[in-house]
Amino acid sequence: MSLQHAFKLFDRRFFTGAEKFTVIGRGSLGGKAHGLALMKDILEGQLAPSLRPEIEVAVPTLTVITTEFFELFMRQNDLFDVASSSARDDQVAIAFQRASLPPQLVGDLRALIEQVHTPLAVRSSSVLEDAMFEPFASVYATKMIPNNQVDADTRFRKLVEAVKFVYASTFFKDAKNYLQATVHTMNDEKMAVIIQEVVGVRHGQRFYPHISGVARSYNFYPLGLAKPAEGIVNLALGLGKTIVDDGVAWSYSPGYPQANPPYNSLDDLLAQAQREFWAVNMDLPLEYNPIKENEHIMKFSLQDAENDGILRFIASTYRAQDDKIVYGITESGPRVVDFAPILKFDLIPLNRLLKELLKLCEDTLQKMVEVEFAMTLDEGRGTPARFGFLQVRPMVVSEANVELSLAELMGKNVLAASESALGNGVLGSIQDVVYVKPEKFNVHHSEAVASELEGLNYPLVEEGRPYLLIGFGRWGTSDPQAGIPVNFGQICGAKVIIESALPETSTMLSQGSHFFHNITSFKVFYFSISPSDKYTIDWGWLNGQNAVHDTEFVRHVRLPAPLKIKVDGRTGRGVICHD
Amino acid sequence: MKNSVCNPFVTAQLQFDRTADWLGLDQSTRELLRVPLKEFHVLVPLRMDDGTVKVLQGYRVIHNDARGPAKGGIRFHPSETIDTIRALAMWMTWKCALMDIPLGGSSGGVACDPHDMRLREQERLCRNLVRALARNLGPWRDVPGPDIMTSAQHMLWMLDEYEALSGEKVPGSITGKPVGVGGSLGRKESTGYGIVFTLREALKELNVTPEDTTASVQGFGNVAQNAVRLFEQIGGKVTCVSCWDHHEATSYAYKKESGIDYEALAGITDRFGGIEKEKARLMGYEVLPGEAWLAQDVDILIPAAVENQLTEENVGAIRPRVKIIAEGANGPTTNEADKLIAGRGILVIPDILANAGGVTCSYFEQVQSNMNYYWEKDEVLGKLDVKMTSAFNTVLEFSRKKNLSMRDAAFIIAVARVVEACKDRGWV
Repeated sequence: MSLQHAFKLFDRRFFTGAEKFTVIGRGSLGGKAHGLALMKDILEGQLAPSLRPEIEVAVPTLTVITTEFFELFMRQNDLFDVASSSARDDQVAIAFQRASLPPQLVGDLRALIEQVHTPLAVRSSSVLEDAMFEPFASVYATKMIPNNQVDADTRFRKLVEAVKFVYASTFFKDAKNYLQATVHTMNDEKMAVIIQEVVGVRHGQRFYPHISGVARSYNFYPLGLAKPAEGIVNLALGLGKTIVDDGVAWSYSPGYPQANPPYNSLDDLLAQAQREFWAVNMDLPLEYNPIKENEHIMKFSLQDAENDGILRFIASTYRAQDDKIVYGITESGPRVVDFAPILKFDLIPLNRLLKELLKLCEDTLQKMVEVEFAMTLDEGRGTPARFGFLQVRPMVVSEANVELSLAELMGKNVLAASESALGNGVLGSIQDVVYVKPEKFNVHHSEAVASELEGLNYPLVEEGRPYLLIGFGRWGTSDPQAGIPVNFGQICGAKVIIESALPETSTMLSQGSHFFHNITSFKVFYFSISPSDKYTIDWGWLNGQNAVHDTEFVRHVRLPAPLKIKVDGRTGRGVICHD
Repeated sequence: MKNSVCNPFVTAQLQFDRTADWLGLDQSTRELLRVPLKEFHVLVPLRMDDGTVKVLQGYRVIHNDARGPAKGGIRFHPSETIDTIRALAMWMTWKCALMDIPLGGSSGGVACDPHDMRLREQERLCRNLVRALARNLGPWRDVPGPDIMTSAQHMLWMLDEYEALSGEKVPGSITGKPVGVGGSLGRKESTGYGIVFTLREALKELNVTPEDTTASVQGFGNVAQNAVRLFEQIGGKVTCVSCWDHHEATSYAYKKESGIDYEALAGITDRFGGIEKEKARLMGYEVLPGEAWLAQDVDILIPAAVENQLTEENVGAIRPRVKIIAEGANGPTTNEADKLIAGRGILVIPDILANAGGVTCSYFEQVQSNMNYYWEKDEVLGKLDVKMTSAFNTVLEFSRKKNLSMRDAAFIIAVARVVEACKDRGWV
């Protein structure tokens, strides 16, 4: 019996039904839903009882629209032409909005919406995620809807729009580019959709989880005392978008929950700390735009969370006169979301939960894993807390054994080297280098740089030429001031990525955190070179190579001979040599 | 009127009498509801293209409008009788009440055969009929819609004539209009889809998955086609459909054990639901006499043609495997046949429930037309599904609680609602 047949059909009772995990249709569940289905019983049976009454652990109530309806939707509305065309994302999205959902689906959606008045997350769950056992993190859309309108017709319309938007995202440019980097084609892809309650609490016009997190069972950047096998956890206030898309989080090793993240200074820590958070906007949206993923979510300030009474469980205060962080928020001063009451004073046993959870997931999937979750706290005492398990993905890690000595990093013909390299293995086929011109780069132009990079990426992917990509600041940041705000689809042809800090910037490098999953699953080598490193990039040699394309901010050179690239995954050393 | 088993009005009155007995209705209420409130018998002179004039007999019957403006189809059929129209109007009253939509019941028709008429003649017929009835039509009086052998085009001609007479745009005065001229998305599919929505719920109740079922369908017009299409989409297999062959004035059944190919068969079907026999044969269909649809070894029968098709004489042909009869047509089962079927433990989804998708969507169209604001198809069909499912569950629950057949339960719920409205208004 396939996994989806193990779950009850949606009986038109979302919260009040006997089952909290239901399916609509007979198709595939897709990767995301499959992962949740695998873990659901184990979580609720094995993990949850030991944590009660302090934390209630569960997969939030959900129903999965299986891929059968995606196929019907495409066929009944003749959408294959527009989906495979070169139409812009907004044109694809509008064409999908104009189409009608299959008649046998809309009744279930209507029944669901008539009884549910709280926010819903409409998430993608693609079959290739499942088939490849690979993450398509952030490739397809997730849309949150407040679902609090009095009128059921409006709520229904917003849900239908969200489902169609997720369907359309299967054919957005980034998704197509991403797929091209795999052995699959668009024809292989089918989309299931998860409709899931949003874990959170309403505070006025905001609805948000008090804590969101991403926990990984293996840490590729074990700094300080941390060990790789202890994993790494990123926490943030509000929706998980802050961690996944903005790259802002409080990071710690589950082995040392009390240790602060390894920033160079308190200034750095403060500069990188969370200052805003994402929440579902329960008020009227700023604009009606069914083809905008963020239509119903907004950023709010920490002051808002403090007014909501939440910060006292998760924040400390910076005391300027002593230049130090003091626990609690009784004093006035800038707040620092460091989760001290939980991680340092064990207000709730979150760290124990995460350690056990990662182990359970690893044991079940037989792979290193990445887990996403969201929590709410009791507004009076913090406990009991509610822990919503949102997603589990396997991490793909190379098994090859490469040894790289320090001497090799300083040897002849080195184009670049790093002791913070991610990946493991040897590459000897790359002849194309795309790099951001150091003399031209300025954070004020980072969005233009992203656009130029995308323009170069597409033809290289088409030609099947993997390339080395070199740029400045944090790759994939949503803050254009902190680096180059690309998504992975825009640079998906890069097989090796170097992020280099400019000397005058204080921004910490991302060390691949934005594209962590993408680069590990596609086995992309990722080099971080900070200003304090003894290794640099040989710009002179690069500039001496013949340019294939030379745009305002970016240069693409094609080398006469392939580069020799090695990364030692155990030591984090990597080197790129030319002939 | 003749007291014949084939007279649908007799069938309808017997159904009402049984229901009235169960409810213990008083005499005056029975007298009010046993016959129509109003009847219009009109002669419709029609000038043909060859210059001759035919005088056609037309009817419009309002059975009861206590719950709201009357609603009912207009059909063009050569063997149309006032008793058929009376029965249809009465069933429409119950159907609207059962679906809990604020409408009364009516019906109308003209004794004619549109197959023998050119389009311009049909247009003149529609306009002439509206001129004859106009004073009693309108969005707040009586709202016609399409029925057998009348289409969206006919409705648009009627609307155009009505608006010309009333001197204003009144899109809510007729339903079943073409989309873009006041019609509702989903209207065309609504009756057929509604049948399948209730069928799906019945299968759940019997703990049978659609994938494990086969069906035989009488008729291949708009209702049957959409029912077949959606039934296939939810996983079921249709192995036989029948239709009326206008040229040979007889019906044929088209059978394929492996399951009919809906798209291919629809491609060789005329606008009245007639399948091209020779082409079907070439496509591998076994061509059988029309009544063979009933004798198929299937799980589900869907009579979706006309009245009085399941009779005392032919129900014996129903195979033991049949578990469900979903009545897509109005009054397809005579009272005698109904008793025999009930004795065999077959779950019957009665017509006033199974085919109520059409009138429900007509109501949605009226609402949209009166607002002049139109919904997306998802919204129409989503509401339709919920309404149908909810009505099915109400009937099922009541039938279980009171140990009644689905038909009796449906009639009792519906009649009780109409009685309540009549009493609230102080009519009885």
